[in-house]
Amino acid sequence: MNAQHRGHAPRPYPPGDLAIWVFILAELAAFFALFAAYAFTRLRHLELFNEMQKTLDSTAGMINTLLLISGSWGVARAVAAVKANHVRASANWLLMAIGSGVGFLIVKYFEYGAKFSAGVGLDTNLFYTFYISLTMFHALHVVLGMVILLFVWNKTRRGGYSAHDHHGMETGASYWHMVDLVWIVLFPLVYVMR
Amino acid sequence: MNTHLLNMLWVALLVATVLTWLIGKTGYTGPLAVSAILVIAAIKGWMIIQDFMGLRRVRLLWRGIVVGWLLVTLAVILIAYWLGLK
Repeated sequence: MNAQHRGHAPRPYPPGDLAIWVFILAELAAFFALFAAYAFTRLRHLELFNEMQKTLDSTAGMINTLLLISGSWGVARAVAAVKANHVRASANWLLMAIGSGVGFLIVKYFEYGAKFSAGVGLDTNLFYTFYISLTMFHALHVVLGMVILLFVWNKTRRGGYSAHDHHGMETGASYWHMVDLVWIVLFPLVYVMR
Repeated sequence: MNTHLLNMLWVALLVATVLTWLIGKTGYTGPLAVSAILVIAAIKGWMIIQDFMGLRRVRLLWRGIVVGWLLVTLAVILIAYWLGLK
């Protein structure tokens, strides 16, 4: 179903396994609920949210956005490479994407570390309850995405995917792009707009 | 997939991210700044959905669901922000 669809007719289903797309849509629904809850809670606590947002490290948020975008690009290049039968290059692109995920978690570690050492926690105030819950929930998805990509990378470097058979790689890639897409909304919402 | 297009999109996404960060860093607030930030997020999300996820070549229904999620989410955020201005 993958390599054959090179013509102009649209593919009937998105790249990867249909089951992962059911999971992706469920994840998107969950994040929608969290974002809406944040936006409408902010509405009732405008001063608190605007003041507290200034205490966040938006540069860390920006660096993490650059890392996730680069990881998503790396995965897209990995899929493009395997479709051209460049299996080794594909594995290297996947490794680069996993590296960007590691970078994301390192930045998050220092970001949380600075907050926690300053005595900030889940019960500090409503803003920080949202900030910690939302970003940690997302970070868990980054970890899961990295685990999936590690499996895909391992199979790729062993020659498990080719131009004619890369369904599994597209499944992992779709999940990783979803993690990136969600952060594209989270970053401006929590770190920037006021 | 055209790798040149992927590279161009990657650079565009990086630039758009820095732009969003700069709007916040320079202290721009208010409806205009927030609208700009959300439009940038919509364009970034659209690029990811279309060419990184690869939904450009998929039946409209699937693309519509994911693009719809992006637009409805950003619209709800904008509406909540707008209500806060009153």
